[in-house]
Amino acid sequence: MTHLDTELQILKSETISMWELVILQMRKTREAFLQLDKDLAREVIMNEKRVNSYELKIDRDCEHIFALFNPVAVDLRFVLAVLKTNNNLERTGDIAEGIAKFIINAGEPFDQNLLKSARVIEMFDVGIEMLSDVLNAFENEDTALARSVFKKDENLDEINVKANSVVGNYIANNIDRIDESLYILSTIRKLERVGDQAKNIAEEIIFYIEAKVLKHRSQP
Amino acid sequence: MAGTILKAKNFNAFFGQNQVLKNINLDIMRNDVVAVMGPSGCGKTTFIRCINRMHELTPDATAEGEILVDDKNVYKMNLIVLRRKIGMVFQRPNPFPTMSIYQNAIAGYLLNGIKLTKSKKDEVVETSLKRVALWDEVKDSLHKKGTFLSGGQQQRLCIARAISLNPEILLLDEPTSALDPISTSKIEELIYELKKNYTIIIVTHNMQQAGRISDKTAFFYLGEVLEYNVTKEIFTNPKHEKTQNYITGHFG
Amino acid sequence: MTIEYRNIRNKLFKGIVIILTVICTLPLLLVLYRITKEGISAINWDFFVNLPKPVGEKGGGIANALVGSGLIILMASVFAIPLGISIGIYLSEFKKTKLAYFTLLSVDVLQGIPSIVIGIIIYLWVVKTMGHFSAVSGSIALSMMMLPAIIKSTEETLKLIPDTLKEASLSLGVPYYRTILKVILPAGITGILSGVILSVARVAGETAPLLFTAFGNPFMNTNITKPMSSLPSIIFNYAISPYEDWHKLAWGASFMLIAIILVLNIITKIAQRKWRVQF
Repeated sequence: MTHLDTELQILKSETISMWELVILQMRKTREAFLQLDKDLAREVIMNEKRVNSYELKIDRDCEHIFALFNPVAVDLRFVLAVLKTNNNLERTGDIAEGIAKFIINAGEPFDQNLLKSARVIEMFDVGIEMLSDVLNAFENEDTALARSVFKKDENLDEINVKANSVVGNYIANNIDRIDESLYILSTIRKLERVGDQAKNIAEEIIFYIEAKVLKHRSQP
Repeated sequence: MAGTILKAKNFNAFFGQNQVLKNINLDIMRNDVVAVMGPSGCGKTTFIRCINRMHELTPDATAEGEILVDDKNVYKMNLIVLRRKIGMVFQRPNPFPTMSIYQNAIAGYLLNGIKLTKSKKDEVVETSLKRVALWDEVKDSLHKKGTFLSGGQQQRLCIARAISLNPEILLLDEPTSALDPISTSKIEELIYELKKNYTIIIVTHNMQQAGRISDKTAFFYLGEVLEYNVTKEIFTNPKHEKTQNYITGHFG
Repeated sequence: MTIEYRNIRNKLFKGIVIILTVICTLPLLLVLYRITKEGISAINWDFFVNLPKPVGEKGGGIANALVGSGLIILMASVFAIPLGISIGIYLSEFKKTKLAYFTLLSVDVLQGIPSIVIGIIIYLWVVKTMGHFSAVSGSIALSMMMLPAIIKSTEETLKLIPDTLKEASLSLGVPYYRTILKVILPAGITGILSGVILSVARVAGETAPLLFTAFGNPFMNTNITKPMSSLPSIIFNYAISPYEDWHKLAWGASFMLIAIILVLNIITKIAQRKWRVQF
């Protein structure tokens, strides 16, 4: 194993640690959202600092690898992919933090019926699953698994599109719960973004392993 | 084992009237790999040749100031003791042409007249050649001449020769400048391995090489140390404009 | 100037060079041919083992001259080789000193001194002092003639050895004198040896200095303080004698001398090829 390989290995395991932290943040947010557990939400907000410091660390490590080792070919694509993935993960962390803030601001527990009809928890689950899938794809260099998340993202988009009318109807019937409904709608919007981030990461993984650019194409 | 192993204090070196090193102050930590970089004629090679006092071999060459190795001034040490403490590898591979690979690996003992038993010799040869990752390639031809090997192998043999005496510091004077890329990367990997046991000071013209293998980098310019810092810093955020120009290739 | 004209000039020039080269080699071949033709018939068993016999007796040989030449040259080598190599080392190691400059100058001058002059000098210094001719004085004269070649070839050979080799040894903490003896000399040994062999070949045929020193001796002698016979002196003495038999022996001795020189040259070439040291 060359010196560069060692450095890349370290970079990879750091990225995976950050990734696991972000997934954990999403899981905790889901729990907090379900139970309206404000303490847990605060914990998520606190932990966002750790995600940010991971981002800075990985950025600096990538910079050093570029400066000191001048990686080429697959090594170069790997570091580029990590650099972008890093960015996407940090955004995902921000999303978790954002939802956690809604939880703290929300007055009373969310209406379980609305959560069910707007399929919010399902979105949480799909989003977390996508993040885990791309993580596995990244760890095992599995492009088939990476491609599988595109399908799941369509699922999220569909829920997101339908959410408008579901929440709209709910507001019409429960005028006194507008605040709560809007929090839920915003959460849905944010969760849809989680899917986009995971999809971007999947594209980066495919770029790094297969050297194929999938960005800005209609059908991957 | 940590701590400063080598310290240069107000060190100056001359060739006749010509001052090639100006007031060098440098601290080198044990088990660090220090790259010495800079444009041609900036005194890099002179600096490392002063450490084991090869500088004074040149007629008219003089030096003043102090270089301390383990807190002892090299200019007050016994030359032979000093040079056994500090191994050196040169720009061109230079195995002794009249000696076999085996003899080259223990040349330090043979030439110094240090008697070893047969089994001790075998042991020294095997461990030094294994350390430089040459053992597997040459173990069946130990009694062929050292010059029979390829350039990269010869250079690794020379490194083995230098480390067989168990020096504390290894001076490498552009050790890969005469080698092809594959041999070069082998030597670089080797340096990365060797830093566990030795302090390494390497002169290099190759910036990428300095980046890849060193912990710290000293940038020499016109006989002075302009910048001495952690390599990562030098390569991402050099403090001195000249350093920046040099590493970005905008020199001149 | 047309291309054809230039081509013709080219060919003409090449032709002239070839013809001149052939003309140069021709005398050598003629000499070899003549000596071989005349000398080979003189060579037989008696020629090697017998002493010269008085005129008219058959079966005279040159055993005393062969032994004498061998002894004189051996002794000359013993004097000249250590001295020559030492001076050669000094010259290549300290080329910039004043002493080296004057030594080099002296060596060049010594090389140019005619052999007969060296003979006279040794005659004055050694033969006169000892009071009689002797083999050892011949050896001293020959060693003086060998010195320049040995010094020069040692110096030239050592100059070609890369400095990095010396530095490699010094950087291992090897003292200077050991570096010279164990690294530099072995690396240059082929060149030095061929210089030595060639210098032996050169003095093997020297006649003039021996006439004043070793003189010659019709009997077998191995006492180095007494006059001794040698191949060149026997050739000289027999060739100028009026007897047909002795002329025959002179041809034979000439042939032997040439053969020895030839063999020495061939040995040098083979040694250079076989023990070539690659840096």
